[in-house]
Amino acid sequence: MSTPAPTTPTIQATSAPQGAGTSSTPTTAPARSSQREGGNSLGTFGVKSGLAQMLKGGVIMDVINAEQARIAEEAGACAVMALERVPADIRAEGGVARMSDPQMIKEIVDAVTIPVMAKVRIGHFVEAQILQAIGVDYIDESEVLTPADDEHHINKHGFKVPFVCGARDLGEALRRISEGAAFIRTKGEAGTGNVVEAVRHSRAVFSQIRRASVMNEEELYLFAKEIQAPFHLLKETARLKRLPVVNFAAGGIATPADAALMMQLGCDGVFVGSGIFHSGDPAKRARAIVQAVTHHNNPKILSEVSEDLGAAMVGLTIDGNLKGGLMAKRGH
Amino acid sequence: MGLTYQHFENTEVVIGILALQGAFVEHQATIQNLSVKRKISVSLVRTVEDLELCDALIIPGGESTTIALLARLAGLLEPLRAFVKTKPVWGTCAGAILLSQVVEGTKKGGQEVLGGISITIARNGWGSQVESFEADLEVEGLRDSQTPFTGIFIRAPVVLTLTPSPADPPIQVIARLAPNLLPPSLPSLEDDDPKTIVALRQGLHFLTTFHPELTHDDRFHEYFVRECVLARAE
Repeated sequence: MSTPAPTTPTIQATSAPQGAGTSSTPTTAPARSSQREGGNSLGTFGVKSGLAQMLKGGVIMDVINAEQARIAEEAGACAVMALERVPADIRAEGGVARMSDPQMIKEIVDAVTIPVMAKVRIGHFVEAQILQAIGVDYIDESEVLTPADDEHHINKHGFKVPFVCGARDLGEALRRISEGAAFIRTKGEAGTGNVVEAVRHSRAVFSQIRRASVMNEEELYLFAKEIQAPFHLLKETARLKRLPVVNFAAGGIATPADAALMMQLGCDGVFVGSGIFHSGDPAKRARAIVQAVTHHNNPKILSEVSEDLGAAMVGLTIDGNLKGGLMAKRGH
Repeated sequence: MGLTYQHFENTEVVIGILALQGAFVEHQATIQNLSVKRKISVSLVRTVEDLELCDALIIPGGESTTIALLARLAGLLEPLRAFVKTKPVWGTCAGAILLSQVVEGTKKGGQEVLGGISITIARNGWGSQVESFEADLEVEGLRDSQTPFTGIFIRAPVVLTLTPSPADPPIQVIARLAPNLLPPSLPSLEDDDPKTIVALRQGLHFLTTFHPELTHDDRFHEYFVRECVLARAE
């Protein structure tokens, strides 16, 4: 690995409280070149959100070892999420779910050429420091793991590595962006193979954006208060008529049709967790979902790729008795 | 349908953007907003039929392994290779990898490319995402060339060697990273080391290892349209 840039804060700073050390960043606006000193600047919001833009139209797959990561890469995944247990197993086995063993994440990084993401517990900024030191390409501050802090999320501005966070509605998405997330996904309900919550969350986000896009400034102030969102980010979202960062679907996607559904609703790409390696023929299903995302508006291709995929993962009904509980309620 | 009788200036030039995966919408928006003298229309390319309508093509950033696989599954690999032989093509980042003759640092088992530009390129040449960076580029030939262009380099590829054969069109270097802007992982390179090249052109083919489509600056798009697409049409 290379030596850190002298112009860039690193986690070696002894008193760095949160992440990489731009501890004096009260700014909430995602600004390009936020850490620009001199000519070449690392870890700017431009390169953080830019990587998410490169993942658009793609599928990010949960994998638990190097072998699965290779299968995902061969099937056309645009990135993999390295974790010890997929959400369906976390549900089934219970207990506290934590960041994965760095050794196992490094093996996955070495096995593939596509970006590797890994999860940290909500609010666990030290797990994030560790993942940044390993050199993962993206961190998911994820409700799938057991939260480490039930009030605060990580201050993500201070890290060179970018973060993706889950959201159930526009207010939650903009709060995460305000904390420095460069990439948003629906929470859905992970590990269920049931797409209903992902649909609910993305419909909520898109419907609130459509409402905001026709509001005048006075109404936007009130709406910002209602949805507990920073005003400037809400105003920017209303102007763009979309979230200011890339927005993927996640949580319960199990079939090519599920993936195409989320794309047609307006998502930029999909995460598939348990849905691939808990199915009968992971390689074939993974490739079919990759094709379904690209050709989401072409029912003829969708029907071809949906054929003969073997058994899908077992789906769960989402209600109060759901084993492992409702993960989407973690974080706010 | 009477097209042959129309005045040449009025015929539309169709620029395709390969829309299998990656940041194709950003290219589409930038090209649509360009003001050039010829009428240009933009078309997203996902099938062989889409490609047949195009006079030129942009291959966007994204994951080159994913784009190559989707191209193969859509039956687009050979039609794209044939397209590249005769028509203007611009590749950004992943697209630059696909346009190169030889790629290093590929996934196990290698990677399919389209070829078109006689270079060897290395994937993720600067390292992982934490090494991604922005740097100002001085580029001759751009409109307003005294204003630097912000290059956004995301897990960017690096040009290793130029390998034109005598029969190929010459390779023209369009932009280099200034020595003081090189990532610290590569402390000292000779000024003419190919690794400092971030934009180059060979005949009708153009590549940038960074992402002009992520900025609000349309000068590289204007350059491609002016120098590679319209210069040929005239």
